[in-house]
Amino acid sequence: MARSPYISSAAEAVDRQSVRGRADATWPAESRRQVIYELISGLSGLALALFMWGHMFFVASILLGTRGFDWLAEALEVTYIAQPTVVIIFALFVIHAALAARKIPAQLRERRRFAHLAKELRDSERQWRNIGPDGVLKPHVESWLWIWQVRTGMIMLVLGSFHLVLIGLDIFTTLFGDRAGIEAATSMARTAGGLVWVYGVLLLCVEFHAGIGLYRLAIKWGAGARLSRTALWRVEKFLFWFFLGLGLVVLLVLAEIIPPPLGFILGS
Amino acid sequence: MATESDSSRELTFEIFRFNPLDPGSEPRMQTYTLREEPYMTLFRALNRIREEQDPGLQFDFACRSAVCGSCGMMINGRPTLACKTLTSDLASTIRLHPLPAFKLIGDLSVDTGTWFREMGSRVEAWVHERQAFDPEAIEEPMDDDLAVAIYESDRCIECGCCVASCGVANTRGDFLAPAGMNRVARFMMDPRDGRSTGDWFEVVASDEGVFGCIGLMACQDVCPKELPLLEVYGYLRRRALGAAFVRKQR
Repeated sequence: MARSPYISSAAEAVDRQSVRGRADATWPAESRRQVIYELISGLSGLALALFMWGHMFFVASILLGTRGFDWLAEALEVTYIAQPTVVIIFALFVIHAALAARKIPAQLRERRRFAHLAKELRDSERQWRNIGPDGVLKPHVESWLWIWQVRTGMIMLVLGSFHLVLIGLDIFTTLFGDRAGIEAATSMARTAGGLVWVYGVLLLCVEFHAGIGLYRLAIKWGAGARLSRTALWRVEKFLFWFFLGLGLVVLLVLAEIIPPPLGFILGS
Repeated sequence: MATESDSSRELTFEIFRFNPLDPGSEPRMQTYTLREEPYMTLFRALNRIREEQDPGLQFDFACRSAVCGSCGMMINGRPTLACKTLTSDLASTIRLHPLPAFKLIGDLSVDTGTWFREMGSRVEAWVHERQAFDPEAIEEPMDDDLAVAIYESDRCIECGCCVASCGVANTRGDFLAPAGMNRVARFMMDPRDGRSTGDWFEVVASDEGVFGCIGLMACQDVCPKELPLLEVYGYLRRRALGAAFVRKQR
């Protein structure tokens, strides 16, 4: 590449941090690794979020009563769909946790600085008396919500692992219930017996984390250029409340607090 | 006086005071009061405080019209330009802090210049010619949309508000930060720049570049010039992805 004397001398004056200096030393392995980390963490998150929606509809078969739930569970087990799914989801879950966690500041001091900034930005709106003539003084809450995304992620790592192990035992062993597989009777007895609180917290964390995660993926890879952030945010909010609402109804049925509302369809 | 009618508010300013060069100085908040004037900006208010109450108060201003980018500060917890902010948009208590993530010079004054100069040399923020410039040759035409996109990125006034609002930039000094990524995109888009995407790969696709960004978009929310940063990052991510999997040689 031909350059003017001025530019080549200026380029030489640049320290080792420069594009070319660094590139010669470490390109491409380290940077390519970063791209791959970013892709895997995004794609595993996407896969997990989409799975959770499908999962919600499967679990919602309890709304048809125990017969509907058992029928669907057995259908997924005899076709050997459920068994590998548990293993794959557990693997994705761990991979996603490991890769997404690389964004969390390591030092407590850094986390406190991050949280302080996020709070300042979140609360700043309250101290602006008027919206300016440009109408752009929206409160910035996304930094604060990210902190909660990390927190819900941590909670899910514990409660989700517990759930996955439990379901794994259900599917692969005869430890619980009459046969190796997911059964409505076992799940309901378990939920009504006290796990309703665990599942309630898990549900809230999953919907919060997945909703914001998908929103952020859309923002990051440029869907934001077509749909405005406001529009994406509205979609996110709708999905969050829809799945949270559906999940709560399902949870109440599983905890035997309300009867299956759609039980009449199967005549039970 | 007409400007000091009974209806005008008494403003309370809580201002961060610290002089790092003075060993006896301790970081503290100092309170000043001032009667509000019609159409009063923080530029006006701070200058009046310095003239009438405390000649030692440090803050930066030059153009007082949102072009020079030297008056960025945290106003009630939000980084923005003091000259562009009307006191009438704020509650009667106004809290002022220097921008975080930059070196503090004193009180509200921070050194954004060194940061931006280092960033500029790190991303080599100048057009790397494809071939030696020929003053006789006719300039190649540029697509309108592209020219506008480059112009939009170039509107950055380097006030540092985006850097101050960025959680990542505040916790990691090596992060390229919003202003840096915007600068990279400006030259990456430019067809006159001879660097291929692969040349940019190290600085953009690294953890210090666009893949260090979490996508919280505080930068876009606070940018006083309302730069299209969301589009900029989307563009950089897609280009980096393309370079990672298309470019195999070298």
